[in-house]
Amino acid sequence: MPQLNPAPWFLILVFSWLIFLALMPPKILTHQFPHEPSTLTAHKPKANSWTWAWQ
Amino acid sequence: MTMNLFNQFLSPTFLGLPLIAIALMAPCLLYPSPAPWWQSNRWMTLQNWFIGSFIKQIFSPINTKGHSWALLLATLMVFLITLNTLGLLPYTFTPTTQLSLNMAFAVPLWLATVIMGFRNSPTHALGHLLPEGTPTPLVPILIIIESISLLIRPLALGVRLTANLTAGHLLIQLVSSAAFSLLLSQTTAASLAVGLLLLLTILEIAVAMIQAYVFVLLLSLYLQENV
Repeated sequence: MPQLNPAPWFLILVFSWLIFLALMPPKILTHQFPHEPSTLTAHKPKANSWTWAWQ
Repeated sequence: MTMNLFNQFLSPTFLGLPLIAIALMAPCLLYPSPAPWWQSNRWMTLQNWFIGSFIKQIFSPINTKGHSWALLLATLMVFLITLNTLGLLPYTFTPTTQLSLNMAFAVPLWLATVIMGFRNSPTHALGHLLPEGTPTPLVPILIIIESISLLIRPLALGVRLTANLTAGHLLIQLVSSAAFSLLLSQTTAASLAVGLLLLLTILEIAVAMIQAYVFVLLLSLYLQENV
C-alpha cells in the first residue's frame, strides 16, 4: 500500500500542520458572530453574541 | 491487479516536487476572508452560518474553559471537509487518504487533550479509567481494558478517516473501470455499473462530510472528558 511508504511521512506532517496553523486560522478568525438586532419596542435586547475565546 | 488499483494513493510528485502541497493549499485558496462590513454576499453568509452553527453544535456540551479550542476545531472541520469533498472530483488527489496526514492530526490533538486532562485534574483524568459501580474482582482487568481503549483512540481516529476515504475511492475506481471495460461488449451490464457508480458517488459525498464531522466530534468528546 503506497500510503504506508514512510518516505514522505514527516514532510506531510510538517506541511499539513504549517498550513493548518498558519494559513487557515486567520480566515476562520475573521468570521464574526454579532447578536441579532432586536425590535424597537424591546426593553432589554438579548445580546447573546459569541466571540472567539481570547478576543 | 491490486497494485494497479492502489497506485491512485501514491503521493504524487512531479519532477521531484510533491504535489500533495498544492492539494493541501486548496482549502486556503477556496475560502476568501470575510470583509469587515456587515452586509456580505451569499457565499460569506453561508460560510458564516456554517461555522457558527458548527461551533454551537460542538461546544454547547463543553464548559467555558474548553471554548478556547473553538478556533482549532473549526479550522480542522473546514480543512477536512474541503479536502474530502474536493477529492471526489475526477483526477484530484485526496490528501486525507494518506495515513501520515490523518495520524499527524489525530495523535497530537488527542495527546493535547490527554495532557490537558492530566495537568488540570489528574485524579479526575485517572478516574476515567474505571467506570463507576464496577464489581471489585473486575477492577484490575477493567483498568487495563480502559487504558488500552484510551491509547488506541488516536490510532482509531486516524485509521477511521484513512480507511473510509481509501475504501470509497477504491470502490469508485473499481466500478468505473468495470463500467468502462464492459461498455462496448455488454452494454446493459455497463449501464447497471454506471447506475451503481452514481449511487456510490452520492454515498461518497455523504461519507466525506460525515467522516470529517466524526473526526472533529470525537476530538471534542475527548476534550469534554478532560476539561
